[in-house]
This record gives sequence, structure tokens and C-alpha cells, in this order.
Amino acid sequence: MLAAATAMVTIVGCSSTSSTTQTGAGTSTTPTTASSSSGGAAAGAGGTSQCGSKPGVTASGSPINLGSIVTDQPGTSFTDIAYMAQAYFNCVNANGGINGHPISYHIVTEQTNPAQIAADAKQLVQSDNVVGIVGNTSILECTINHAYWEHLGISVIDSGIAPECYSTPNSAAVNMGPRYSSDGAVQYALAQHVSKVVFDQSNVPGTGYIAAGPNALAAAAHVPVVDLTENVPISNANSVAIKEVQDAGPNGAVVLNFTPPEALIILQAAQKLGLEDRVKLWGCSTPCNTDFLAQALGPKWNNKLFVNAELTPPDSTNTPSMQLYKAILQQYGSKVSGGVGSFSQMGFTEAEIAVHALESVTGAYTVTSVNTAFKAVQGFDTGMLCQLWTYGSYPMHIPNNSDYTVTPDNGKMAQAQGCTQISSVDPQIATYRQAAGTAQLAS
Amino acid sequence: MPTWQDLQPFLVSGLALGGVYALSGVGLVVLYRATGVVYLAFGAVGAMGALIGWSMIHVGAPGWTGWLVCVLFAGVVTLGYGMLFGPALARRDPLVKAVATLGLTLTLFGAMDLLWTTGGGQSRSLTLPTDSSGFMVGQVQVNWTQVIGLAAGVVITGGTAAFLRYTKLGTAMRAMANDREITATLGVPVRRVEAAAWLGCGILAGIAGLLLADLVALDATTLTFLVISSLSAALIARLASIALTFAAALAVGLIHDLLTPIQALSNYRDMTPFVLAAAALLVISRHRVMSAGRG
Repeated sequence: MLAAATAMVTIVGCSSTSSTTQTGAGTSTTPTTASSSSGGAAAGAGGTSQCGSKPGVTASGSPINLGSIVTDQPGTSFTDIAYMAQAYFNCVNANGGINGHPISYHIVTEQTNPAQIAADAKQLVQSDNVVGIVGNTSILECTINHAYWEHLGISVIDSGIAPECYSTPNSAAVNMGPRYSSDGAVQYALAQHVSKVVFDQSNVPGTGYIAAGPNALAAAAHVPVVDLTENVPISNANSVAIKEVQDAGPNGAVVLNFTPPEALIILQAAQKLGLEDRVKLWGCSTPCNTDFLAQALGPKWNNKLFVNAELTPPDSTNTPSMQLYKAILQQYGSKVSGGVGSFSQMGFTEAEIAVHALESVTGAYTVTSVNTAFKAVQGFDTGMLCQLWTYGSYPMHIPNNSDYTVTPDNGKMAQAQGCTQISSVDPQIATYRQAAGTAQLAS
Repeated sequence: MPTWQDLQPFLVSGLALGGVYALSGVGLVVLYRATGVVYLAFGAVGAMGALIGWSMIHVGAPGWTGWLVCVLFAGVVTLGYGMLFGPALARRDPLVKAVATLGLTLTLFGAMDLLWTTGGGQSRSLTLPTDSSGFMVGQVQVNWTQVIGLAAGVVITGGTAAFLRYTKLGTAMRAMANDREITATLGVPVRRVEAAAWLGCGILAGIAGLLLADLVALDATTLTFLVISSLSAALIARLASIALTFAAALAVGLIHDLLTPIQALSNYRDMTPFVLAAAALLVISRHRVMSAGRG
């Protein structure tokens, strides 16, 4: 069940801009490499003026229309990602824009309705005249629209969830998504020599696809794995926690793949029943990587829960990119309800890559020029990921395939393990690396 | 198949949950008998009360004030709804009365989604001091919140039965359940009796919201729709018998949790309240048909 709600609240955020006439004449794109973005890892310390080429000068040229489709329904909302991208673009617009052009960002929300999602894509292209798609984060969007984007030659920069976000030629995500993030969590547990893995996740479409990665890793390590699924919202977390612990045994690991609220209630139930020490360790995919969760759990879970982190831990990092991210969040991110965290980091990174690519376009900003620029991004140091990010012309894209592991540390998430490559034992990772090679680690 | 030892912890958690379902079911039955309203907003008012209580505690208020406000909020909102819409809906069909409370449910649900968003990975929890202490029964850890959950169900059921039997107000409520018009004709202050039923039901919604926020989750969707389990127990008891509501609620909680470790049935355990209610209604209707046939 994707959402157990009978009522849905639709929040439609859309920017108000007029479209601009695009001409293909004089368009050219240069391949973009390394960390040369004005807003990227090269950004210096202090303030948001670093996010554009002309600090303090409001961009006044014809707008560059970009669009985004995000899921927003009770219990599942990814609007923070698009709102953070919007914040980044607002910052760019206030500091010279892209060669003087402001970015006009059109965000549409959907409620896991396939017809609505398809219509959203057409609205963005036909009514809003967008020339690029940046910041998509949706349970179904990649599945529904990937063929449409391929037909139009639009190369999406997104946060992936559905398998098609990673297995199709025109979608490149900044995150790992549930499968590879679960891979990372299980890989960490296996490295701690657990004798059994219980992998529990929400009972939503695609659980078999997600579980295939962790199962492959456990099989390669000759460790038995038990796959469980839970209907969400969970109606009695106590029984779920008991079942997981019973199945894992004292030297086993329980690895969760849930949204933060669902993961929290399972972990808290375990704590209330005194079960947290009845297994060797607990693991979780990226959604658990929030300070909300660390605060709610308390110190009992320090070095007991290990969470896969797809992006650089914000609390313990003080790089120029991280400073810029926090400064933009503070100045322009009033709509980002979750504040500092994975979701807003993803939005920042997607916008950062898009801006980096757009700055390389010379001539008019058309669908062709913009998406050629997106595809040309290669070896870009976002300052937010373990490794350099590449789009490229590959049949599939898993550009983020190295991760961190974090653990609660008295109300914050602290790094437990540095950058580690997701194992090629997962056949999808192996296929991608065969096509694109292994990306260099970021500096 | 799990062993008896494997099942023991599920027995404890099922009893605790069943106890809270029981007190909720009793609240629903008492209100229905006094006013004819199936109160579908029971879960939503408890959920919102719990979220308000959490917000207060989150900004530094003492825990007890948050719990008190939770219970008071649910009581006041329920009473307010009853006083505002009760008279206008008094002569309407029971279905209309129930659907009207669905309107309140959706209003509260929308407000909770707006005010306590889960965007950005936000998650909340409401813990009671009784979570951190408990005792062992064999190999099973039992915490005091679970004991309170079951005890609350027992006490509320027993207390309500005694209240209805031995107090003047309780007698008036029972009389209204039989015939509202005749009761009014006999000089019983119908509005006042109804107000007491609405307030009592609201307070029980607040207590249930508080306990379920701890035992299950502090989440608007989860808490709002947990009313289904209590409603199922009340329906099994035909919205009439408090003792049967209690037994049915315990059965719903127990069966739900005992199915958890059985791999083949685990993902179907959320059907428990629906299956039990449907089976009970079928048995009841079959019994009626047979009785009518004999008559």
C-alpha cells in the first residue's frame, strides 16, 4: 500500500514566469569536467554570493525554464528536494544568474497517480516550456515518464526511487535509491561478520527488485538472509521488532528500509522491549540518516544502529560546498521543512550539477543545448558525494555508487565508516561499472 | 511454525494493544447507545491531541501537561462537535450521522498533515516514563506501558459497566439507547446526557491517542485509522454489549499480533479486524434469519 490515507493534501508550488522563445541558432556545448562550477566544490567560504558569477546582481535576462515532478501526499513527501533546488536557483538568480539569465523553476506535485504523472510531464514541456528536468523525486515518475523523456531527448537529473531511475539512458540520479542504499547497509553488516541478515522493508511495489541487491551480497558472503515486508503504516511496531529480532538471532543483523517515521517506530519499539542488544547490530538505508531520528532514539543506539549515507555527512563536514549549502538553506530555504539532511542535500546537489552544466552552454538555452550539457557532465566534484559525478551516454546510470556509514551519536549522526564502494556483487552495479568504469573518489 | 516460546512476546504485545482497542471500543459503544452516532473521528481527535501534547513537550513543557492537554483536547473537540452538530443530526439516519463524523476526521487529518508534516524525513515520538521500566515474565520483557494498556481496557470496561448500571446518568444513557423520544418525555435532560456521552467518549479518545502514540506510533495516519480495529470490536458486539466489545477487542489485538511470526500469514494480519467483523456480522445475521424462520 503506497499510502494508507483516504484524503490527500495537494500542495502545488509553481513559479510564475513567462516562457521564453528558444532558438537553436548558434547553440553549442562544451564538455564540462572537474570542479569548476561557481557554486560547486570550488566555492569559497562564507555567504551565498558564491553561488553566482556576479555577486549581488539580479539576473534580468530571459529565463531558462527548468521543471520538476515530486511526490507529495500524506506520509510521503519529497517536496524538500525540489524546494532546496529552488533555493539554490534563487541564489543563482540573485547573483548574476546563468550568464545573466535567471532560472525559472516549475515544481509540480503528484500523488502516485500514473495518469497525473504523465500529464505533469506534458504540462511542463508543452505549457511551461521547460528545457530541462532537474530535481524529480517520485515513487513512480521514472517508470511512467522515462520513455517520454527519451523521446524528447531530455536527460533528467533526479533523485531516484523506481528501478527505471537507474536502468534507463535518460535518468541520472544523485542518490543511490533504495536498492543500492540497502546494499550499502547490508554490506556494512556483513563486514562486521554477522551470522544472519534480516532485511525488512515497506510492502510497496518493487520490493523484490530492492531485495535482490542485499540478497546477492549476503549470498556471496554465504550468510543466510531473511526477507520481510511490512504493510505501512505499521499498526503494531512491537510485534514487528520482536519478529525481526527472533529471525536474526543474537549474532545477526536487522537491516531496515523504511521512511524515517516507520523506521523510528520499529527501533523505538525494540528499545521499549529491551531488544536493541538482542542482535549484533541494526542497519538502515539512507532515509534513517536524519538528526530527527538520532534525537528521537537517544544514546542507546550509539554504535548500535548503522545507517547508509549516500551523501557527505553535513554535521561533520566543513567544506566550501557544505558551507554554501548551509548558507543557501538559511537564506533561501524557508520552504525546506526538514532543514539540514539528505533530502535538502540532494536538491542542492542536483541544482549544483544543473547550474554547472548550464554555465557551459554558449548560445541559446534550448532542449537540445541544455540536455547535451547535462549529458556532458563528467567527473564533477559536487562536494556532496563520495565520488565524482558523471552523466554520460550510457544505457543505465548509477553515478553515485560509493557511500558512507553513519551512526547516532547523542542526537546527531556521526560518521562510522568513510567512503566505501558498493560491491559489484550486485549485478546492476557490475553492469554499470562495466559501462561507465569506476568513478574517482572526490577530493 | 513458531514455537510457544516464540509466540509469548506477541501474546504480551497483543494483549496490550487489545486493551487499548477495548477502551476505545467501549467509548464508541457508549456514545452510540446515547446518541446513535458511530464516531469515526475517534482516532483523529486522539491523534491530534497526541501531536499537540508532543509539541508542548518538544518545546520544554513538563510531560504531564502534554498528556493532560492531549486528553483535554480530544474531550473538548468531541464535546464541541457533539454540541454543534448533534442536535441538527439527531433525527437523521445513522449513516448520515456517521458520515458527518467522517467530515470531522478528514478536517483534522488535513490539519495534522499541514501542521506536523513528515516532509524532509521528520519523525516524532511520544514516550511515557513507564516505557523504561518493567519486569520479565519467563523470557519475555514486559514494560509498564503495556501493563497500563491492558489495565486501562479492563478498568474502563468494568467502570463503564458499573457507571451505566448504578448511576443516574448511566441509567439515563441506557434509557436513551432504548428510546430517545420516550426518555425525553419522561423529563430526562437529553442534551445534558448526550453532552456527557460526547465528553466521555472524547476523553477516552484522548487516553487511547496517548497510549497508542506510545505503543504504536505518533503518526497522524496510523493513529487516525487505528479506529478501525476498535470499531470492528464494537461492531462484533453489535454496538450494544460492553463486555463483548472488550472480548472482541482483545481478540483483534491478540490475533493480529500472533499472526506476525507466521511467515505465510504475516502480511495479511492487518485484515484481522475486517475479517473478524465480517465473520461476526455473518454469524449474527444467520442467527437472526434462523430465529425468524423458527418464529
